[in-house]
Amino acid sequence: MLPFLVLIFRFLATAALFGFLGWALYTLWRDLRFHSQMVTTQKVPPISLSLPNDPEESRKTFVNTDIVVGRDNSCDFQISDETVSARHARLNYRYLQWWVEDLQSTNGTYLNDEKIETSTIIINGDEIRLGQVVVLIEIQPPES
Amino acid sequence: MNLTFPAYETPNNKTQKRLLGLAALFLFFSCVVLTFSPAIRFHQWTGAVRWEQWVGFGVWLAGFSILYRGLNRYLPDSDPYLLPVVSLLSGWGLITIFRLNPAVGFRQTVWLSACIAGLVFGIRFQQLLPLLRRYKYVWLTSALVLTVLTLFLGTYPGGTGTGPGLWLEMFGIYLQPSEFLKLVLIIYLAAYLADSLPVRFSIMQLLAPTLVVAGASIAILVAQRDLGTASIFIILYTIVVYVASGRRRVLLISFLVIIAALIAGYSIFDVIKIRIEAWINPWLDPSGKSYQIVQSLMSLANGELFGRGLGLGSPGVVPVAQSDFIFSSIVEETGLFGAVGLLILMAILTIRGIEIALHAKNHYHRFLALGITSSYIVQAGLIIGGNIRLFPLTGVTLPFVSYGGSSLVVSFFSLLLMLMISDQAEDQPAALEQRRPYTLLGAVFLAGLILVALLTGWWSMIRSSSLLARSDNPRRAISDSYVLRGRIVDRNNSVLSESVGEIGSYKRVLNLPSLSATVGYSNPDYGQTGIEYSMDSYLRGVSGNSSTTVWLDRLLYGQYPPGLDIRVSLDSSLQTKADELLKGQKGAIVLLNAATGEVLASATAPTFDANRLDTQWQTWMQDENAPLLNRVTQGQYPAGSAISVFLYASALSSGLPVEQSSLSQLELKQCAVSPGAGTDFASLVTAGCPIAIEKLAPAIQPTVLWNLMSQLGFFSKPDIKVETADAGSLNYPIETSVLINNPLTWRVSPLQMVRAAAAISNAGKVPPTVLVTAYKDPLNEWIALPDLPRTVQLSQFSASEAADQLSITSFPGWETLAKVKDNQQTIYWYLAGTTANWQASPLALVVLLENATPELTRSIGQQMFLYSVRPFGN
Repeated sequence: MLPFLVLIFRFLATAALFGFLGWALYTLWRDLRFHSQMVTTQKVPPISLSLPNDPEESRKTFVNTDIVVGRDNSCDFQISDETVSARHARLNYRYLQWWVEDLQSTNGTYLNDEKIETSTIIINGDEIRLGQVVVLIEIQPPES
Repeated sequence: MNLTFPAYETPNNKTQKRLLGLAALFLFFSCVVLTFSPAIRFHQWTGAVRWEQWVGFGVWLAGFSILYRGLNRYLPDSDPYLLPVVSLLSGWGLITIFRLNPAVGFRQTVWLSACIAGLVFGIRFQQLLPLLRRYKYVWLTSALVLTVLTLFLGTYPGGTGTGPGLWLEMFGIYLQPSEFLKLVLIIYLAAYLADSLPVRFSIMQLLAPTLVVAGASIAILVAQRDLGTASIFIILYTIVVYVASGRRRVLLISFLVIIAALIAGYSIFDVIKIRIEAWINPWLDPSGKSYQIVQSLMSLANGELFGRGLGLGSPGVVPVAQSDFIFSSIVEETGLFGAVGLLILMAILTIRGIEIALHAKNHYHRFLALGITSSYIVQAGLIIGGNIRLFPLTGVTLPFVSYGGSSLVVSFFSLLLMLMISDQAEDQPAALEQRRPYTLLGAVFLAGLILVALLTGWWSMIRSSSLLARSDNPRRAISDSYVLRGRIVDRNNSVLSESVGEIGSYKRVLNLPSLSATVGYSNPDYGQTGIEYSMDSYLRGVSGNSSTTVWLDRLLYGQYPPGLDIRVSLDSSLQTKADELLKGQKGAIVLLNAATGEVLASATAPTFDANRLDTQWQTWMQDENAPLLNRVTQGQYPAGSAISVFLYASALSSGLPVEQSSLSQLELKQCAVSPGAGTDFASLVTAGCPIAIEKLAPAIQPTVLWNLMSQLGFFSKPDIKVETADAGSLNYPIETSVLINNPLTWRVSPLQMVRAAAAISNAGKVPPTVLVTAYKDPLNEWIALPDLPRTVQLSQFSASEAADQLSITSFPGWETLAKVKDNQQTIYWYLAGTTANWQASPLALVVLLENATPELTRSIGQQMFLYSVRPFGN
């Protein structure tokens, strides 16, 4: 009798082990599917920046999610103007939106002539002003 | 479960809570199995239970319950899988260690509770990660200094000098600084690379300081001969640098460095040389250099699919099972299922680790998480790979599972770092330059785990039976002390060999010690020989029982069913007589039933006593009289004129050559005994005169002679259930001079000679040689063993006529004597057998004596023959 009881306990132990593994793998897979759906819906809409006095020549389009604008030549979008700080503002894409934030610049960053204090959502057609320089924003609609 | 692991409002709490509950259930059931394992082993309730592991389980449950609460309070957004996976791994390890050695289990329990306590407090210390980063050089220097100290003060927990001095002792606590150095190096690399990454120097400038540091660490470890850890260092260094730089060149360079290091290590260090040789071909020296790996493979083999059950296998026979070979122990008792489960746990750890790295909020966290994850998985891969012969053995630990305080502390401390890094739900992950190194690394790790699972399956399923059948598998001897081995009885059912004693300490006893060379022994230290070896599957209950019985007993008890008795053809009284006659001599006596080929007596002298191997083995091994040799089957002697009787029988059928009228002095001197006045062939053959061969051999056609010699079995090894020497051979055509000169390439054992002699007494039919006749099935019925090769009928062979011609009046049979000079010694053959008018079973007898006299040989032979025919009342 005892050997069979012990055998049952051995099976129960194995069942608990594989229950653990099964549940863990199931939830992992569920999360993975959820994330991959997020990622597929989260195609980054390309953003273009340009200067109004020479829109075609200065236009630059980005597909990455993090853009730094400033006077320094390490910036992704470089503006040679005395009123623009070395690293002036950052644009980045998160929560399905493009955001702009000021990098503690000397002359401040303005969105449609309003000074921004925190990270702010930007949309197609917005104008941001860095010191005295206006930058036009074009965001293409996301491909579905 | 709600009491131990209460629900919290934190994200993913449901998953964490459920997983911890399942882990606790798994450990609980495992502890129950272990508790009752002694009763299963003994097949009866003796009152013996194993309780120690419950202490470990209690500490585990309390510890992880507290840690779970703390984690949900202080790091609510941390990864929900890490804690359950680690709890299961460490609990599984703990119970396995308790199963192997309760004393070590208690020590591991103390370490585990210390680790959990450390984590419970550590999770409140939010500044830990920045602090580690800021003072990276302080930690690194301290760890290096401690590791260097082991060069001078290093000890081994088992006693200095008995193992590598990789530990430092402080107040009775042993620490292994290289374990700490490993983690500190990862922290240093992560911090340094994260600090200097935005600056784009050339890769060499970037890496120069890290190379120096890593090189110094590795050099120390090489000086310490701790090469397992040194190789982990190289691999971890490569991984972190590869991920940080994203250049695949790093992998190539590192691969070349490892290969170069292996080659250099192989030629410089004996330790590495031994390990690599044991890895490439473990079967060459399974009891020496590759003892550990072969034992480990047999442990895996014993696991099969379901495992023997906790407490029911014998993983303790593998050296250092609780640290280096814990994977084999787990597989032996939980089977391939357990192995795959353990590997999936490792896979979950990998997946989560890489996930955490990808979502880390800055590069320092990212590299650190990846380094720690890699250190878990690389270390697990190296040691498991060593256990299953995927890699050479390295003495590293299996993280969270193996016994070892330093390893556990470092593993748990890294877990704390991982939990902290993962607790970043609000923050955006740092920018990711390349995803590729992470996916590549994850894929390599997972592929490695799949490979390990497949190889484990290969050893535990496909190679299982052949590995378990190896004579150096100690499980066989262990099983023999728990399960009654079958008895070996003689033809009259008197017991020759049996197991005596109490269950759990059965001991094999040979009741007729003179049969040691034939019946053999089944000894835990000296293995098996003779019938004990050849009939092991019946004696052990593997053969003869229904496959369902075998399967069920293996499943329930981890053992084979009780063994079956076997019957041999030997006759105790004839055997005792033969032993008496050989007393004080050097030689062999073998008596055969000439019709059936059953061996009735098989005596060899001097011999040994299978019951006294433990004390006398060395003496017998060194004795120049070779008492361990079975002269009947393994003795290799020149046949000399002993074959003249067969030539005579053959020549009789085709016509004898002209007889000689007289013999010269020289020819007379060569005879074993004086032929007296007779010069006829019968007299010459009986007296063993070589002149008989000289005259008879040319009278027989070469093809007939060749067929005669090979059909008599002089060129073939007898098929019999004991160790037998290989047969010699002669070239065709057989020259007469060759027959007389006894070439070294052609030797004959007494068993071959008696099989041939049987043809004379059995009307020209050569019987097979039979020693084991039947086994007793589970219903107590004797079942005859399948028949052996058939009897061979000789043509052109006047057996009966020859027997009649050679028979002597005072004696109910024929006889012949031969004397052969062989190197330093003279040996004597005595062949005898019954004649055609003998009413009972025909008999054939061979006596062989080394350095005796012809008279003594004949006297012993005649006494034996008369005793053999006596019971038949003639």
